Amino acid sequence: MKNFDEFSKPEEYISPMDKHLRSALRNWAEKEVMPLRRKYDEDWKEHHLIEPAFDKLMGNKGLGIQKALFPPELGGWGIGQSDYAFTVACALAEEVGRADTGMAVAFMVTYWPLTTILVDPHVNWRLAREFAPMFCETEKAVFAANAMTEPQGGADIENLEITGGKTIRTTARLDGDEWVINGHKLWPTNTGGVAKLFIVPCTTKPGSTDINDFALIFVPADAKGVTQGGPYEKAGMAADKNGDIWFEDVRVPSWYRAQGPGKDAEVFREIIPWGLIGSMGFLCGAMLNLYEILYDFVSTKTYKNKPLKEDDCVAGIIGRIAGDIDICRILAYESARMGDRRNKPYGYPLHSDEVVSKMRNLKDFVSDRAVDVFGKAMDVLGTYGADREYDIEKHWRDIKIIQLWMGGKQLCQMEAARYFFNCKTL
Amino acid sequence: MNKTLDELFVYPKELVDEESKRVIHLVRQWADKEIISKRQEYRENYEKLFIETRKSLNLTIGLQRLTLPEESGGFGWNNPASTPGIVSVLTEIGRADAAIGVISAVKCVVFAATTLLPHLDKDVCDVLAPIYCADELKTPSLILPGMGTVGEETPLFLGRSILATVEPDGDGYAVNGKNMRPLNSGAVADLFCVVCADKLGRPCVALVPGDDRNIVRGRTLLETGLNASANCDVSFNNVRIPKSYLISRDGVVEQIYTWLNLLLGGVSVGVGMNFFEIVTEWSETRTIKGGTMMKENPLCASVLADVADETFTARLLLYNLAHIMSKPDDWGYSGSQRVYTFSQIIGSQVQQKIMRAINRGLELMGSAGYSREWHVEKHWRDIKTIQSYLCGVGAEAPVKMDTARFFFDCKEI
Repeated sequence: MKNFDEFSKPEEYISPMDKHLRSALRNWAEKEVMPLRRKYDEDWKEHHLIEPAFDKLMGNKGLGIQKALFPPELGGWGIGQSDYAFTVACALAEEVGRADTGMAVAFMVTYWPLTTILVDPHVNWRLAREFAPMFCETEKAVFAANAMTEPQGGADIENLEITGGKTIRTTARLDGDEWVINGHKLWPTNTGGVAKLFIVPCTTKPGSTDINDFALIFVPADAKGVTQGGPYEKAGMAADKNGDIWFEDVRVPSWYRAQGPGKDAEVFREIIPWGLIGSMGFLCGAMLNLYEILYDFVSTKTYKNKPLKEDDCVAGIIGRIAGDIDICRILAYESARMGDRRNKPYGYPLHSDEVVSKMRNLKDFVSDRAVDVFGKAMDVLGTYGADREYDIEKHWRDIKIIQLWMGGKQLCQMEAARYFFNCKTL
Repeated sequence: MNKTLDELFVYPKELVDEESKRVIHLVRQWADKEIISKRQEYRENYEKLFIETRKSLNLTIGLQRLTLPEESGGFGWNNPASTPGIVSVLTEIGRADAAIGVISAVKCVVFAATTLLPHLDKDVCDVLAPIYCADELKTPSLILPGMGTVGEETPLFLGRSILATVEPDGDGYAVNGKNMRPLNSGAVADLFCVVCADKLGRPCVALVPGDDRNIVRGRTLLETGLNASANCDVSFNNVRIPKSYLISRDGVVEQIYTWLNLLLGGVSVGVGMNFFEIVTEWSETRTIKGGTMMKENPLCASVLADVADETFTARLLLYNLAHIMSKPDDWGYSGSQRVYTFSQIIGSQVQQKIMRAINRGLELMGSAGYSREWHVEKHWRDIKTIQSYLCGVGAEAPVKMDTARFFFDCKEI
């Protein structure tokens, strides 16, 4: 094998932009991130080191990638209307994740709220025009956040099929031509003072299980009544800040609702596949980097006075690691292709059980393999496994949360059971 | 939780005598009072409190001299029969803080190689006992064989590269070794216990005082966990030691591994038990699906069951090893191939089990488990660090080879 690019991906699915995008991102990652990433843990609160790298990735002075989803006529790249949107998203997540999964999630989550208004067939042109300048006309990195989880409910909010939204405590009341929002959200990516724009899943009728009462409403971070707490200190993911947000009588225009009654629930379900593809891309990127590091290590360190990789028993272990990476990458791109079939006659809508349940299942599998693969690689490195100088331990700390987020493992298992076994009461 | 930890995570109580039980009780009180009840303060002021709590454990309670002979001022737990008591103490320490546990474990391992009956080395004991019985906190460090580098042929201990050498030098020995990575505390150690190869390539153990000016220390490492132990790479450039500081009896290196497997297992089981306490509180105060208590959901309950059964079986396995080690007449002494192999198997299994218990529990706790606030992520990082260090090189490969060698009489591996 010549290099990590030769891990399998279905070449016939790959976007025509793939080579160019990867090349630009890889140059950025190798110049701006990889030489500094070992210092990111100490930079978790201030982002003195991290912020300039984000600017060069996302702002117009650098690659300008934060505008990718917006239509070209609004200054974007039109990825939201592309037949390769998911495959491109997977590649972006992979390339940035290879360098730092914390940066990858912070950057990709900026797209997350925007998918509800910028991706075919749900483009909301009025909101697209409203927010395009914020992302397309700046040299600085601009972040958005999906203010989803609530303190009391954990993953309940992502389990709309069962809860019907009745557990949501964040409320939106229409007062004239404005929504008035109240509530408390916990832990969204890009909070802790980072995001300029939130999308807020909430209810227009507390306790209701009617899906028409579920609402997705955009809220600028500087709106009166929005308060953000400081970031939490975590095991890893230093480039991704998570904190609390309180909405107290926050007023936004009525047309800041993403799609309207019923449709909001549909596009909310559609953002799940985006999060799952991003998650798999981050994990595959991190695993590709693991392979690079591990290759060097097992070629230069010895057991029984032979290179580690030339010992049959160790070879069995590292062979399995490489095999798992290969399988996970194939699954990630297969999932991405499911997303890109959304508009095709032979595809399924993004909000369908076919797409959501299968993607959750695949993300669960890839997450489990990644957690195992990193744990095993640290053990192969032995006394060097925990050493920050080898970067594998950083990835190990960072990726654990990917396995846990978006409802975690158990929600993935439930959705898989519901779909594959037609469970009625789970 | 309406049951005590010891009612849940049972161990054969008859293996631990009454005196040991009193010491174990004292250590549990220390853990609860000084660390577990003050977790937030401990987390925010970790470096200072780490030293203070180590002092209260080692000097006030006196555990620094736990395994020294009674006639030398110690507790007299230098008899194989004390093994279950020693692992119990390490479990209690690990429940509070894994880094304190690892340093305490290494201290006991060093003394096991030098003062454990019937191999009490009186000359070494006479030197070490006054130091470790004095009113000053001591930190030994352990350097084991590990991996080599391509292009450098090294003597081997069961496949692992021995990076230090020892040669006669006048009336003593000279120890050499470059860029060796200790298990713990390289930056602050006052005594190194290092596995060396003699001129014929045979493994032996040298005790090297940490203040020798021919010791070169690298920068303090940033690691996944156990950072309070302050580790760094060390080089010995012709460090001279007295003749009595070299222990070359057969099986001494195996004995070190055996004790390390047992005691680091004890530390990790303690961590697992504390994690159980935390996840119990979590699962009783969180609801899912709009109102069901988390632990009452069958899927969540099955994850909680995994946490409990991995910790439960790890503790039982560990006491089996302690029992084997406490009966040298029945099973052979702790440096024998048999007991060494058993310890490798059980040591590896215990670490895997506790790692899995925490990984599973984290799945329920989600972001709370991942944030520093709940202390769970520290346990998770500490256990992974112990596990990787214990692997030494090549993940489970060396342990698999040790096992196959013993059970199948393999000759070539």
